[in-house]
This record gives sequence, structure tokens and C-alpha cells, in this order.
Amino acid sequence: MQFRRALGLLPLALLLLAWELAVQAKVYPPVLLPPPAKVLMVFIDDWDTVLGNALASISRVAVGISLAFLFAVPLGLMIGRYRLLDTMTDWSIQIFRSIPPIALIPMALLFLGIGDKPAIALIFLAGTWPLLINTIFGVRGIERTLLKVAKAARASEFLVMKDIILPAALPAIFTGLRLAVGGGWLTVVTAEMIAVKSGLGYMILNAQLTFRSDLIIAGIIVIGAIGLLADQAVRMVRAHVCRWQEGLTASPE
Amino acid sequence: MSKFLECIGVGKIYPGKTEPVEALRGIDFTCDAGDFVCLLGRSGCGKSTLLQMVAGLEKPTSGQIVIANRELDGPSPEAAIVFQDHGLFPWMTVQKNVEFNMKARGVLAAERRATATQFIEMTSLTGFADRYPHELSGGMRQRVGIARALTTRPKALLMDEPFGALDAQTRGKLQDEVLQIWEKQRTTVLFVTHSIDEALLLADRILVFSPRPGRIAADIKVDLPRPRTSQSPGFVALARELRGLVGADREID
Ligand SMILES: Nc1ncnc2c1ncn2[C@@H]1O[C@H](COP(=O)(O)OP(=O)(O)O)[C@@H](O)[C@H]1O
Ligand SMILES: [Mg+2]
Repeated sequence: MQFRRALGLLPLALLLLAWELAVQAKVYPPVLLPPPAKVLMVFIDDWDTVLGNALASISRVAVGISLAFLFAVPLGLMIGRYRLLDTMTDWSIQIFRSIPPIALIPMALLFLGIGDKPAIALIFLAGTWPLLINTIFGVRGIERTLLKVAKAARASEFLVMKDIILPAALPAIFTGLRLAVGGGWLTVVTAEMIAVKSGLGYMILNAQLTFRSDLIIAGIIVIGAIGLLADQAVRMVRAHVCRWQEGLTASPE
Repeated sequence: MSKFLECIGVGKIYPGKTEPVEALRGIDFTCDAGDFVCLLGRSGCGKSTLLQMVAGLEKPTSGQIVIANRELDGPSPEAAIVFQDHGLFPWMTVQKNVEFNMKARGVLAAERRATATQFIEMTSLTGFADRYPHELSGGMRQRVGIARALTTRPKALLMDEPFGALDAQTRGKLQDEVLQIWEKQRTTVLFVTHSIDEALLLADRILVFSPRPGRIAADIKVDLPRPRTSQSPGFVALARELRGLVGADREID
């Protein structure tokens, strides 16, 4: 299974090959397009730069998405459960979620200055909407009989939330989390090009100023690899937490 | 024998999407503690509506329902309900599902566990306590639903076509088990069915419903000795009478 998944790397291998051929054919001068081997050297010679900036980006996303989770999931559970709250928020959510976080960079800079704060704020926003919308969706999808069982048993509202609404919505919440982590990762790189002086986004923009195209390409590779790993990590946690779903839904494999 | 359940002029009108739906009109009946009463009729006669009102899940739009000398206002602690589609929580094991009604009442964990084990045994589910609902057959799932309903030792057991989705053999077995439980626990049972045979096998008394709006068309006492089979003397004659009352068509077997 994992081996067949790895087959999905085929287009990437072809790209690598084309890159090497382009270098051999001297399509671009080496300053612009360094050979793959030189980019590989970045991970040996400049590993501390790459690692430091990668950790900076990862921790921003971790903080931003955690805050988004703590905010959006409880709110989504409430909105999904109570019609009135839904009516009162629906259109606003639809409007907010169509604003790309990048469009808010200027505002974030004005109000929060340069540094971690504007970057984390933007990641928070990027993660909030998919989490919120998927949580609401998850609560909506709950089987009505289950709520009747709870009502007939005279379960408290807290127990209904904790033992019924939350677990019922968990698969959808994880779908939201995957989207949020993906969106947060896109946002952090962009935000770092403008709003902070560290992180992978900052690193590759800075590399452009110093004509280090090898560092740019290495940065892009790291961004892609971390994106993949983060997504896989969320999927694994989901598979573990939602074990009870096994055999209930059609799996794609 | 004392009057345990009273319905006095009970009616229900649903708002409906386009126009109001009158599901029930002028339902009057009383039943004694320990009675096994079947509600029989084609689909759409308002049987589920009546059961849900007795369970306190729906409010009557007219009239009143009295259980154990108290007018019903929301779900009664004296009643427990079993649904056709089980209403099991897919993320809880059999054990946790059976414990739920007790948990809703704040019963402590140790006592919950002991009581659940007792009813898991009574419903022949021993050995399946740690399974998830999707790992069980339809008949076993319904046993879990019944076990859960019994844990609070309800004076009224409300069952809405509990065996409607089961094959004939499983159905027959569960009917026997329900009778055994009823004889042992001496609880009042309201049992919705659209099967004349099922009603005759189980009930002391059959309320026959007619549609549009739902009313009680007949109140038939079943004096056949127990245990009964469809070959019992008198069974065939009663079945014929009921077929006439129900307005037999292909829906009723
Ligand atoms: N929640 C509801 N909203 C509107 N109409 C309903 C609702 N529940 C049931 N009805 C209508 O009330 C009538 C009786 O339904 P029901 O009690 O389910 O009958 P039965 O259980 O005998 O099949 C039907 O016409 C049904 O369409
Ligand atoms: Mg029904």
C-alpha cells in the first residue's frame, strides 16, 4: 500500500530529470538554475539555516491552527446544534470565508506590526473557516434518532455535546483540520515574505536578494515535504481517533 | 391493577412544509400497569407519533397524557424507548451504549458497569460487550437497544416497530425474548407494529389505527393463552377480524 502510494511521486521524478537535463543543456546560467546536486549540498552546508527557518514556520502554523481549533470547534458545535445561532451567523461566515487571508496582510501589519503576531493571526484566520464550516456540517449530519435517544434518556446538554454531538462530528472536524493545516501552511509562507524576518517564506525571499537560487529551490522542496508530512500526520490521527468508523464508510483504497 | 397510562383527547398536528398535517385526532385510551399493548395500523396512521408523545419526545397539540398519575411534560423517567433503526451510538462499544441511559441519570460508573453487564447477559449479548455496533448483526443491534432501554428499569417500555427490519427467523426469536423479559420485569409495553401476526403473538390488547387523521378504529382484547403460535386456536379468526379492521392491503402481512 505504502509502496503504491510512493508511485505518486513519479511526476516529481520526471520533473527532477527534466531539471537535470536542462542544466546539462545549459538552458539557463547556473546562477539561475543550479544543478540538483548543488541544491542537495544546501541540506549539508546550510542545514542549520534551513532547519531553523523550518521550525519557525512549523511553530507558527502549530500555534495558529491550535488557536483556530480551540475557537472554531466549540463555536461550530454550538452553531450546528442551535438553529438560532446558525441563522444569526450564516451569511457572515460565508462572507468571511471568501476573503483570502493574504488580503488581510496589510491590515495585520498596521495593527500588529512586524513579527510573529501578524503571521499567527493570519494562520488563525486561514484555519478558522474550514474548521468552523466542517464542524457545523458534521453536527448537521448526525442521525436524528440518536438525539431522540438522548432526549428520551433526559441527558444533560453537556453530556449530549460531549458524548454525542462531538463524536458524531469528529470525522468532519478532521476533514476541516486537514484543510486548515493545508491553508495555514500556504498562509505562513506568504506571510513570512512580508510580515516576519524568519521562516521558510522569509528564507526564500531573502535568498532571492542574495542570488542564492540553490537555497530558494531547497526551501521550496522543504515547504512541499512538510506540507505532505503534516497532511499525513492529520490523516493518521484521524484514522486512530475515528476507528469506530472502520467498515462504516467506503474507503478510497 | 391500576391505571398506569392515560391518553385523554390527544391530538397532534405537525406544522408540515406546505400545509399542516393532522397526524392524530381524539386519541382516548387507558392502559393498566403490566399490559402488553400493540398499536397496529398501516404506515401513516400516526402510531410513531403517539409513541413519541408518550415518550415525551413530541408534545400533543391537544389533550393530555398521564403516566403514573402525572401529566406528561417532556420525557418521563418511568419510560424507555426502542427504535426500529436501533439508535445506537456508532462510536460507543456495546457496553458503553448499554450504559448510556444510566449515565444520563448520573449513575456512578461502577454501578453502571454492573447493571449493564446484567442486561447484556439477559439479552444474550455476553461476549460482545467490547464490539462496536457496526460489527453486529441487525438482530444483535436491536438486542443492544433493548438492553439499554431496560437498564433504568422502566415501568413503560415503548417499542416502535423494533423488529420491522429483521428477517422472519430473527424476528421470531426476538419476539420470544421480549415476552420473556416482559414476564420477568412486569413492565407495561407499548409496541408499534404493522404486522397482524406480530400483534397477535405478543399483545394482551390491540389498538387498531385508521389513517387521515390517525384515530383508534378498534380496541381488541386478545385472550389467547400463552405461549402462542400462529396455529393457536382462535388465532386465525382474530387475524381475519383484524385484517378487516385494518383495511387489509398488501402493506399488512
Ligand atoms: N416530524 C413530522 N413533521 C411533519 N409530518 C410528520 C412528522 N412526523 C410524522 N408526520 C406525518 O404524520 C403522519 C403520521 O406519521 P407516523 O406517526 O410516522 O405514522 P406511522 O408510525 O403510523 O407510520 C404521516 O402522515 C406523517 O407524514
Ligand atoms: Mg412509524
